[in-house]
Formats: sequence, structure tokens, C-alpha cells
Amino acid sequence: MNPQNVTVRKPKIQKNYTKHKLLFFIILTALLMLAVVFANQLCPYNPNAQIFEPLETPSAAHICGTDRYGRDMLSRVLIGLQTSVLSTLLLVAIITLFGTAAGVLCGYFGGKTDALIMRVSDVCLAFPGLVFALAIAALLNGGLRNAIIALAVVSWPKYARIARSQTLSLKNSDYVFAARLSGDTSVEIITRHILPNIFGPILVTAMLDIGTMMMELAGLSFLGLGAQPPTAELGNMMSSGRSMLQTYPWVIISPGIAIFLAVAVFNLLGDTVRDYLDPRNSGK
Amino acid sequence: MRKTNILCLIVSLFIAMAVITGCSSGNSESKTTNTGSSEYSGTTFVLGDTTFNAENGEPDINPHNSYSGWACIRYGVGETLFRYSDTMEIEPWLATDYELVDELTWKIILRDNVAFSSGRNLDGQAVKECLEHLVENHDRARGDLMIDTITAEGQTVTIKTTEPKATLLNYLSDPYGCIIDMEAGITEDGIVCGTGPYIAESLETDEEVNLVKNENYWNGEPGFDNINVITITDGDTLTMALQSGEIDAAYGMPYASYPLFENEDYTFSSCATSRAFFAAMNYESEIIKDQAVRKAIAMGIDKEGFVNRLLDGNGYPAVGVYPDTFSFGGDAVTDETYNPEEAMALLEEAGWTDSDGDGIREKNGQKLTIRWCTYPSRQELPLLAEAVQATLGNIGIEVVINCTADIANVVSDKSAWDVYASAMVTAPTGDPEYFFTTHCLDSSVANDGSYHSDKLETLASELAGTFDADRRGEIAVEMQQTILDDDAYVFCSHLKMSMISKSTITGLSAHPCDFYEITAELAPAK
Repeated sequence: MNPQNVTVRKPKIQKNYTKHKLLFFIILTALLMLAVVFANQLCPYNPNAQIFEPLETPSAAHICGTDRYGRDMLSRVLIGLQTSVLSTLLLVAIITLFGTAAGVLCGYFGGKTDALIMRVSDVCLAFPGLVFALAIAALLNGGLRNAIIALAVVSWPKYARIARSQTLSLKNSDYVFAARLSGDTSVEIITRHILPNIFGPILVTAMLDIGTMMMELAGLSFLGLGAQPPTAELGNMMSSGRSMLQTYPWVIISPGIAIFLAVAVFNLLGDTVRDYLDPRNSGK
Repeated sequence: MRKTNILCLIVSLFIAMAVITGCSSGNSESKTTNTGSSEYSGTTFVLGDTTFNAENGEPDINPHNSYSGWACIRYGVGETLFRYSDTMEIEPWLATDYELVDELTWKIILRDNVAFSSGRNLDGQAVKECLEHLVENHDRARGDLMIDTITAEGQTVTIKTTEPKATLLNYLSDPYGCIIDMEAGITEDGIVCGTGPYIAESLETDEEVNLVKNENYWNGEPGFDNINVITITDGDTLTMALQSGEIDAAYGMPYASYPLFENEDYTFSSCATSRAFFAAMNYESEIIKDQAVRKAIAMGIDKEGFVNRLLDGNGYPAVGVYPDTFSFGGDAVTDETYNPEEAMALLEEAGWTDSDGDGIREKNGQKLTIRWCTYPSRQELPLLAEAVQATLGNIGIEVVINCTADIANVVSDKSAWDVYASAMVTAPTGDPEYFFTTHCLDSSVANDGSYHSDKLETLASELAGTFDADRRGEIAVEMQQTILDDDAYVFCSHLKMSMISKSTITGLSAHPCDFYEITAELAPAK
């Protein structure tokens, strides 16, 4: 066989493999999202009703057992998953939109605005992320909404930096000059030429961030600064079951498995999207 | 490639070694005898305690400082003139007898074979110096004891109070009444010289206190040569410390961990205490001013369910202020029983109805939402809050929980809460007066909900001037019934206090007043 043919075909096979992998993880994510969206319908019992025997071992009636208040764990895990996933998606959407907007503005216009926003982002980056978020959440008195605000304040600079650096390089490309010469306004250039071209890296960062953000949000809840009772949230469920790890393990293991699965699915999807969009795998 | 393999092998070996050494620290017997920095000889007992810390008002063992007297008496350093028996009656300890000369004058005779760990003999002068320093420095003691003058003569101390003080001996038995040698003084670390079976050698706030046997103890021979009390505030850490053998006994173990120790290797010592989990209503809140709401809250709390399901039986449903070990406690009073149907009917009648079908009642456009504030350092309180949230939710009252360690600030802002649930020892002195003077009167420092009742004020002044114990009991019953009839407080449960020790230890027993832990009887099992 001609060795040249091999080098041409290898990326093609790679691309096909990535495509299948992507499809597989999209299906998994879709299943997860279906469970999240229809959590209320899937719950066998009211997740907040303290009506069963406390700390029942997992059985056919209660697949994940019951907690110390006599609530069905499976129902709580489903609702907890819904709370965690939806708030994480909201958080990632906020930081992606805000971070990207700030980054593009800084990169495109430069000057004093750029200096100001970048110094603010430097301040946010100067502290260890979760510790800073903890301080903000505590200052705002906890609660799920405040935990999201706290993590948003800490996490937006990453997106701003990526968007800014991409914008800086695109700003000086020939087609942007050409657009400007043909009379496009700044808004048109940003929306038509810059945003579509930085979409790839921002999307990959956002996809990969979902897992991390879910862990951090659950972390804040675990420490009592996120969702408040009786809201079921995976982090605070693990926290309240913490002392029962040795005696009634299902109380902590079931939310633990849920969080593991959700984070794993989002991370694997993020990785695959990155591989898929990687120009080295493009096969051209 | 081979190099990488060898590297992997070496790294794996290191990890395996780390895992093995990390997991093997559980082997107990010899380990427990040597904890902390100093070298010990002889037998050592290690106690893990969740309460010995500054946040809990016990930064050291100086009884004249905040609640540190609890540590002083609990760890066997200090002793009081009188003490409580197992039935909470006053009996002599450092004193042998007393005489009430007139309404204001008490003559106390001291034991003559007692010496401080500093070597000084315990006499009237030493007691006088100690009590004078106490009332000078301790606000609570000054208010409780109302001491006018103290005179000492040999082994006799004569105390004159400014007002008739029927409960003087009870208050002198409070941990702040530990008699310490003021000549030896109080060190910077808060170490004092007492007369107890153990002598404090070193102390680090929020870390540990190291004690050694008092060779010249007046009341028997202490069972251990050294004692190390370690502060472990986290319940899970405490559980694992006892499991691994790092500590020999634990105070403050989470209930969820009890099943791990219910076997022959460990001993439980439990008893009912007067520590009550109760909710105080805020009379400055508009919603709470409505008696129907207060009554519905009282009827909507499932005390039996809370104790049996959430505390796993480690408590007793409460009726009034005091548990039934007291003659004026338990069923001596009556309260609202758990009755959701009647509570709902009561709310309907008072105009609280659910007109928009969201499960929460309204009246004149205002939702029936109560802000329930509590704190996490007593592990039962957050459980109570969530249980109440569910049962009150069923009758149409929405409960918003604020469980915060910053409770003092929240409670001081009367507009920030409607109900405040806390855990307090209601009769630390074995006498009923304490709870009312601290929590329910106009002059009380902890009347957080601004409760006022003319009847209660009258009864309180009568109680203060009554010396006859039976009559005091009767007044106490009347006073409890008054606050219960007003639905000003809801008493949910009383604590069953447990200490868990290894079965190789004897003599660690729980006491109803929670003051006495480490005594001369504590010893290795034979």
C-alpha cells in the first residue's frame, strides 16, 4: 500500500470514531436531561414528605432507601439532580455570556475599558476560586441563588480572557479589515465576524466547565452555603448523610452516584466536543 | 519503556506503603497511652470532647471566666462547696454542713482534710478569696449569688446576701462555684489550682488540656496517672477517633454513630438531663402576636415523632420546662398535644385560609410564613427545624429555616425572626427559678422574644422570697402552666445525654446535671 494513502485515511477514521463517540455522549446527555426535565413525573413519591419509616434499607418500594426524616431517597435524588443540573446550566450560561461579552469588548475596543475590566478579572483570579466563592456566598447569606452568584463572580474571568485573546488576533485579520473598509459598523463586525469565529473555543470551555461547576456548586451546598432545606440538592444531601456513611451508607451513596454520573456524562461530552472541533482531527 | 515501567513500580510501591501505614494506625492499646506532645509515664486516659472550645464559652478551665467552670469541674480539676446527687439534691462536698442563721446569713462549715493542688490547705480564708474574686469578675455569678459580705474564721465561712436568697447553695454548686486557690492564681493559659483528683499541667485553647493525677487527693486515689482531653468539634472526626482507638471515651457523639459502638467493646453511660430543646415565640412579630398562630404551631409539632424517629429514642418528649425527674417537672403541667386537625380548624377560625391553593394559608393578603431561626452546634436543632418544617407545612404554615452559627446577632435583631429554637439546660442548679429568671421575665437577659405576663412576674417575685422547697415546686408548676397557656414557648424534647467509653475503662458515668465527668472513680477496668 502506498504510505501516503495511510496518512490521509487515519484522520478520517479518527473523525468517524469521534463522530460516533459524540453521538453516543449526546444521547447519554439527552437521557440525563430527560430525567432532569421530567424529574417531577419520574418521582415515585413526594420528595419532601416525611411519611415513611426513617432509614429504611433499599428495597423494591424504596430503591434507594429512605433518609433519617423518612423521605424516599430515590425521589430526592431525582429532584436533587434536577436542582443541581439546572442551576449548573444556568450558572454556566451566565458566566459564558457575561465573560464572552466582557472579553470581546475589551479585545475589540481596548483602551481604558480593557484595562479596567482586565484588572478586575486579575483581582478575581488572584484568589483561590472556591475559597473566594465561599467568602462571597457567606457574605450574601447562603442560599442557592447566592451560591450561583458567588461562583459566577469567581468564574467569569476565564471566559473573558479567552474571548479577549481570540478577539485581539481576529481584529487584525484581513477579512475584518475588509469588512471595516466596506463600511461595517463595530457591532456588525463583532456579531458577524468575531463571535462566530470564537464560538468554538468558548463552547468547548463551557462544556468542560459544566462538570467542574456542578462539583463546586455541590461543594458550596455541602458546606451549607448553597441550597437550604427542604430543597433537595445533591451537595446538601451528601452533607446531611455524611455522618451516616458507616451506618446507613445509602443516604450518602445515592446522591454521590447521581453527582458522579452527571459530572462524568458532561465531562465526557465536553471532551468529545473538543476532539470533534479540533482542527487536527478535521481530516482535510 | 523499561525505565517507565520501573518508575511505575517504584511509585506504586510508595503508594502501597503509604496506604498500609495510613490504615494501620487503628491498633489501640499502646497508642492511647501516648498522645500529644509530652511524654507520659503510667496509665493514660484520652477523652474526646465536642464542647471544650472557645465558641462554646469554654476557652480554658478558669471557673471565673464565662462558662469555663464547666471544663474545670467536668475534667476533675475543681470542686464546689456543695454538689448534686444523682436525684439532683444538694449534698455537701468541700463543705460538711451549713446553717441558715437568718434570711440573709449563711454559715458554711468546711472539710478540714482538703488541700489545693498547690499545697495550700482549704480554709475559710481561701474560700473567701475565691468567692470575692468570682463576684468581682463573673457577671452571671454576681447576679445569682447577690453576695454582700463574706467573713472567714478557721474552717467556717459566713456569707451575707443583699436579699433573701433561698437558692444560694444551689448557685454555689454551679460550675462557677469551683473553689480555686487565688494565692496560686490563674495562669495566662487559664490554668487554675483546684482541689480535684487531677491537676492541669498544660492547656491550649481549642486543642487540648493535659492533666496529671493529684497524689494528695482527699477523697480516694484517682484511677489514672495522666488524662488528656482533646477538643474534637466535628462529630464524624470524634466517631473515627474512638473507632481507631485514638481516644478512650467520647462526649458529644452524633446519634447516627451510636450503632457503631453498640457492642461489647464499648460502654454507654446515659441519663436524662434537664437540657430542653424549645422554641421561643417572638412577640414583636405581627404574625406571632396572633395567639391562634402560636397555638397552631404548638399543636403542629410532632414531639413523639421527633424523639422516636430523628433522635432514635435518645431523648424524651417534653411537656413543660423540666423533665419528669423533677417533682415539678414532666406531667405536672399540661400543654398542647400534636393535633394537626385541630390546629387547622383553629387557623380557619382565626381567618387564616388557603385561598390561592398553594398550600400556604393567607389572611388579608399576608402569607402564613414563619421564620424559624436556630443554630447548628447542637446537632438536634437542625433536625428539629426540618421536622417542624414538614409537620407545620401540612397544616398550611410555611417555615423558612435560618440555621446559623451567628445566632446571637440574628436573635438580637427582633425583626429578623419569628420563632427561635434553642437548647438550654433548664435547671442546672436543680431549682426551678433559674429558667424563668434567665428567659421569661421583663428583667431576663435571654428573654429573646420580649414575652411579658403580669401573672408570671407576680409569681416570680413570690418564688424569689419563698424558702420552702415544696411551695417553690408548686409555684414553679404554676409558672410553667402560665407560659404554656400563653403558648409563648413550646418545649419539644429533653436530652438523653450519653458518654461512650471503651469497655477497658470504668467509672465514666453521665450525671443528670452534666457537671461531673472525670472523677477519682474513673479507672482502667480490672
